Amino acid sequence: MPSVRWRLTLWHAGVLALVICAFAAGIFGFVRARLYAALDRQIEVDLATIETVYREETGDLGELAHRMGVAHFEVTEGSTVVYRTPGWPPSGPAPYRVSALGDSSHHIVAARDEAMVRQTLRTLGIILAAGVPCAVALAMGGGYFLAGRMLAPVATMAETARTITAESLSARLHVENEQDEFGQLARVFNDTLARLEAAFEELRRFTADASHELRTPLAALRSVGEVALQRSLSVPAYREVIGSMLEEVGRLTHLVESLLTLTRGDSGRIRPAFEMVSLNALVGSVADNLKVLAEEKEQTLTIDAGSPVSVRCDPAILRQGLVNLLDNAIKYTPRAGAIRLSVQQRRSGEVAIEVEDSGPGIPAAHQGRIFERFYRVDDGRSRDHGGVGLGLATARWAVEANGGRVELESEHGNGALFRIVLPVPGC
Amino acid sequence: MSGATHAGAGYTRGALRVLVVEDERKLARALRDGLEAESYEVTVASTGEEGFFLANHDAFDLVVLDLMLPGRGGLEVLTTLRKRGHQTPVLILTAKDTVDDRVQGLDSGADDYLVKPFAFPELLARIRALLRRGRPDQALRLQLKDLTMDVMTRRVTRAGQPLELTVKEFELLEYLLRHVGHVVSREMLARDVWHVTARATPLDNVIDVTVARLRRKIDDPFETMLLHTVRGVGFVVRGGEG
Repeated sequence: MPSVRWRLTLWHAGVLALVICAFAAGIFGFVRARLYAALDRQIEVDLATIETVYREETGDLGELAHRMGVAHFEVTEGSTVVYRTPGWPPSGPAPYRVSALGDSSHHIVAARDEAMVRQTLRTLGIILAAGVPCAVALAMGGGYFLAGRMLAPVATMAETARTITAESLSARLHVENEQDEFGQLARVFNDTLARLEAAFEELRRFTADASHELRTPLAALRSVGEVALQRSLSVPAYREVIGSMLEEVGRLTHLVESLLTLTRGDSGRIRPAFEMVSLNALVGSVADNLKVLAEEKEQTLTIDAGSPVSVRCDPAILRQGLVNLLDNAIKYTPRAGAIRLSVQQRRSGEVAIEVEDSGPGIPAAHQGRIFERFYRVDDGRSRDHGGVGLGLATARWAVEANGGRVELESEHGNGALFRIVLPVPGC
Repeated sequence: MSGATHAGAGYTRGALRVLVVEDERKLARALRDGLEAESYEVTVASTGEEGFFLANHDAFDLVVLDLMLPGRGGLEVLTTLRKRGHQTPVLILTAKDTVDDRVQGLDSGADDYLVKPFAFPELLARIRALLRRGRPDQALRLQLKDLTMDVMTRRVTRAGQPLELTVKEFELLEYLLRHVGHVVSREMLARDVWHVTARATPLDNVIDVTVARLRRKIDDPFETMLLHTVRGVGFVVRGGEG
């Protein structure tokens, strides 16, 4: 397949050649018809003159022949030749145009040489034959140049795109005209680049955060071990040291498990097993599991269960999401606070599970990023709570894997409301 | 051991031979030491070929099999053993933990499947369960020193005094008593008592709180402590120190 530039040029030149040829043929035909018509008219004038002379003074025909020069004619009366120019009938290299006039008494035939007409037509033909290819060639050249100019942005884009790698995703294509097709193409391409850059940036940050989170327990593990080996300890003291190291191992394990769950979710390797699940039962059982934590902090945990609601979901995954949200609420709500769980069918037909707490809430600045992996509102405090910074990210993944979404309503200082919204049952 | 009713004690310890097929040297050594401490007789093979040769020629009571081995893979060893009619229980130990991996392992003839990193108490519990296979632990009355539990009437007493336990506390104590003398990990409790299978779910706090509450009820008012925390590992009920 030839390049777009060549295809454009060839189409352009082909169409133009067709038009020019038709035009040339038209001109040639027209000029030819007009020239012959003029010649014929001249012969008719000749005939009329000859007739007049013949009628008035037959003897003058010789002088007339001499005066007319180029014309040849013959006047006959019956079978008698009255006058005949020398060399009649005309013959020679050039053809003659012949016309006749007469009645029963006399007959006049006149002829004129077509050489001039033919000469003119030949010249015109040569001009056209030479001019048409020249015009087509010019059109092709122009078309090629124009197509090149029009397509230049494509080449530039290709050149820029070629140089873009994972390291230089911040590069963008130059948009010359936002409105034209290439401008739109460039914009689409730039949008794609922006999304890619964001994704890479997220990945980079995620990797950096993950390494940091892995490093923390590793550092503890190492220090505790090294310090213990510096001096001799009693057996119970060694047990303490080993126990402490194992706790860090537990943290590492938990972190790796959470990361694995999320990356598997990302790569679609977790296939949810959907079934009809009673949300009231699910919420009840999650609350039942976690209520000891609330009781320890003297928090009141209430469940507002309206009418029974069932949805199609993977109960194990959804449960994981809900446990994370409730665990989060208990963790960040101060002693003697209140936590409310509710299940309701919304007017839109969707189903909502709400986890509302009376904790410090989440400042608006953090609300957009709170579901990001390893994102913490307050770096020091969360780690004291033993979290690895993946709870809400896991919760969001779990809900989205079930086709739902997590909403957050919070005002700083006024508690937080996390809402799991699941699609309509049976839809 | 204390005077506890030994959970499903249907075998004679000391005579049991375990073959460990594991190429990671450190882990293999830890497994050997840990199992020997539990009075198993342990043989270690570090390649698939060696493991297959030993399992094929020697009589073992149980095989602990790693899947990613140099040379002959664990699954291949297992399939071949089963084809040859060996019925020895096989416990797979592997870092592969997707559902497909599990299904494939169990379909190849494994009896159980444990994912690395695992808690050692859990490995011990699974080995005990495999070795008493077909003879499930169905004791309805559990006892440890002066603590008694009647599973049917759901009555728990210590030193003759009845104790009020919540449902979870009761299930937790029953589980601990069925593993008396053996440490149980938080993972085991999460799975078997709380029935939470997702490994990334934060349940450790819940377990710790419930254990603390149980301890307040069964131990605090009494002189001898029965429910012990093994730091970094899990919990154990036993009748004295050691």
